Amino acid sequence: MRPDYIWRVASRDLLSTLRDRRTLTSTILIPLLLIPLFTLGLPLLLGKFIGGQAQERQQVGVVGTLPESLRAALTRDEKTPDGTVTRAGVRLVPVTDPKAAVQSGDVDAALRAPSPLPRRAGDGTGTLEVYAKLGNLRAQTGAFAKVQSTVEAYNRELAVQRLGTLGLGAQTLTPVTLAPIDASPEQERRSGQLAFLIPLLMLNFILTGAMATALDATAGEKERGTLESLLVSPVRRSEVVAGKLLATTVTALTTALFSVLGFLLSGVVMRAVLARGDTPAELTQAFGGQLTLTPGSALALLGTVVSAALLISAVLIALSIYARSYKEAQTYVTPLSLLIVFPAVMLQFSDFLTLSSGIYALPLFGSMVAILDTVRGNLSTGHALTAIAANLIGALLVGLLALRSFGREEVIFRN
Amino acid sequence: MLELRNLSKTYGKHAALRDVTLGAPEGEVFGLLGPNGAGKTTLLRIIATLLQPSAGTAVLAGHDVGREPEAVRRAIGVVNGGMGLPARLTGREVLRSFAGLYGLTRTQADARIAELDAALDLGRTLDTRAGEYSTGMKQKVVIARAVIHDPQVLILDEAASGLDIFARRTLLDFVAAARQPGKLTLYSTHVMSEAEEVCDRVAILHEGALVTVGTIPEILAQTGERNLERAFFALVRGEGVRHAS
Ligand SMILES: Nc1ncnc2c1ncn2[C@@H]1O[C@H](COP(=O)(O)OP(=O)(O)OP(=O)(O)O)[C@@H](O)[C@H]1O
Ligand SMILES: [Mg+2]
Repeated sequence: MRPDYIWRVASRDLLSTLRDRRTLTSTILIPLLLIPLFTLGLPLLLGKFIGGQAQERQQVGVVGTLPESLRAALTRDEKTPDGTVTRAGVRLVPVTDPKAAVQSGDVDAALRAPSPLPRRAGDGTGTLEVYAKLGNLRAQTGAFAKVQSTVEAYNRELAVQRLGTLGLGAQTLTPVTLAPIDASPEQERRSGQLAFLIPLLMLNFILTGAMATALDATAGEKERGTLESLLVSPVRRSEVVAGKLLATTVTALTTALFSVLGFLLSGVVMRAVLARGDTPAELTQAFGGQLTLTPGSALALLGTVVSAALLISAVLIALSIYARSYKEAQTYVTPLSLLIVFPAVMLQFSDFLTLSSGIYALPLFGSMVAILDTVRGNLSTGHALTAIAANLIGALLVGLLALRSFGREEVIFRN
Repeated sequence: MLELRNLSKTYGKHAALRDVTLGAPEGEVFGLLGPNGAGKTTLLRIIATLLQPSAGTAVLAGHDVGREPEAVRRAIGVVNGGMGLPARLTGREVLRSFAGLYGLTRTQADARIAELDAALDLGRTLDTRAGEYSTGMKQKVVIARAVIHDPQVLILDEAASGLDIFARRTLLDFVAAARQPGKLTLYSTHVMSEAEEVCDRVAILHEGALVTVGTIPEILAQTGERNLERAFFALVRGEGVRHAS
């Protein structure tokens, strides 16, 4: 293979890609805008929503009567010393059929005590039924949560009063207090709970980027009748395949680069939002990847991403050369994104699985785990090298397969 | 310049080319005639190293097509009716990129592009993106691309299909001018009048088999007909093939 010929083939495909407004959008604009939108918009929206639930005065239906002090506790607002409401109480309305009232949406929750509730701790026990749509996030975090916490506080208050009459303090209830201290490494804590999405987004953008060039350079060339002229020129088949692989990998990496820029951009915006201080920090932190890379981990990340891009490009080329047209090629390669999404979603549960080192030897999946490790700051050199080698071996094998297809007349002249 | 010996090609069970033996010397335009499905494209693709023959050999400009495909590809330029251009590249970019593949320097390429501009009247195609070309403009650039390295053998397969009379005239004049010592043009068509105009000698193919080879006057004399089309029907009928009616 002669490098100058490979580059000539590649530069032609790259120029074509660069001039296509459609692919520029999908390779540069989307990662640059979508990632900040996703990583910032979602937590901010969720934060606003859950925050709003606390301020809202939900309607809670009551069948019969409740002890007066419990009613008061339920409807009471929590205020800061200067009078702003931090958590609004609920509004109690009489209902007859609690289930129907909840289902019709008249109330967010409904309460029913089958037998009168005790008014003093020690006077027996009673049950308070709470009707709510428990599968519904709004009901769960709103009316239901308020009733639950109020009843807990009410129980505690009655118990404390009773203990007082016996000459015992409130601390009698909690001889042991639990103090949770987060012992995960600084980097892992800062990477956030949704860090598993980073490898998913990275590989998915590599796939999108690779598609922009691979399909046009193979099936597209066939469809336009330009492949034949390339194949009758002195370029060798191996150089044609290598050139197309190079062009595709470059586009894929460009997209990956812009997705990293997207992450950096959202990091900057996030810090600005946090600095304003009116959004709960733990929510923005959920996505909040503040990535700290050492030179070593940066190198590992680079190697993993480049080798993954090479493998994905090889797979796309090997598949789409079979297609007669660009459209047909699209139907071949679209399902590939599922191959990335499924394992990536599995990564969410990586804490529950004890990952054996063998996992790093799985092409692409090993890279996702390695990228996640990098984000959390605990990637080992051995694992990084394993993941990179797995991708490279995979890319070589699939590349050879593509080369074989380029040499087969029934593939090239399939129509 | 071209030697085919017992060339056959089958696609699965279908025999597209049956035992074709023929030769063409340098300095002429050699026509390949036959109706749809006669095997013209198959034959030319074998010569262009794109297809492997099922049997037989082909030698072009002294190189065996199967054993020295790279040397053969250096010696040929190929145009067929279905060829296109990268839609987002200009004519000049396409020509320069192919010139590079044939080892021309930028200066050599630009000089050659100027020559071809004069011969083919490329005009504004050079700086317009191929996606905006008419059929005629496209075919001119496709031809220029095929001859960018001044090949010994030019292979034209239905190169005039879809062209209007102006573009066709340019093409036929270009082919006539390519008749030079040391060069060979293979011109395949199913339009007999095109062959009558530009070809020195023609081979007539029918259902994969060679029916006859000769100069046009020879073929007319052999059949006693007044034009190639009538001669073709006479020859095919003579073979006992029920085709012309
Ligand atoms: N890739 C292929 N697979 C199967 N059969 C094929 C293939 N290519 C051509 N054929 C068949 O081989 C025969 C010769 O085809 P070929 O294209 O060489 O004819 P042709 O003379 O160029 O015809 P046309 O004037 O239509 O271009 C036809 O019957 C065709 O159907
Ligand atoms: Mg044909």
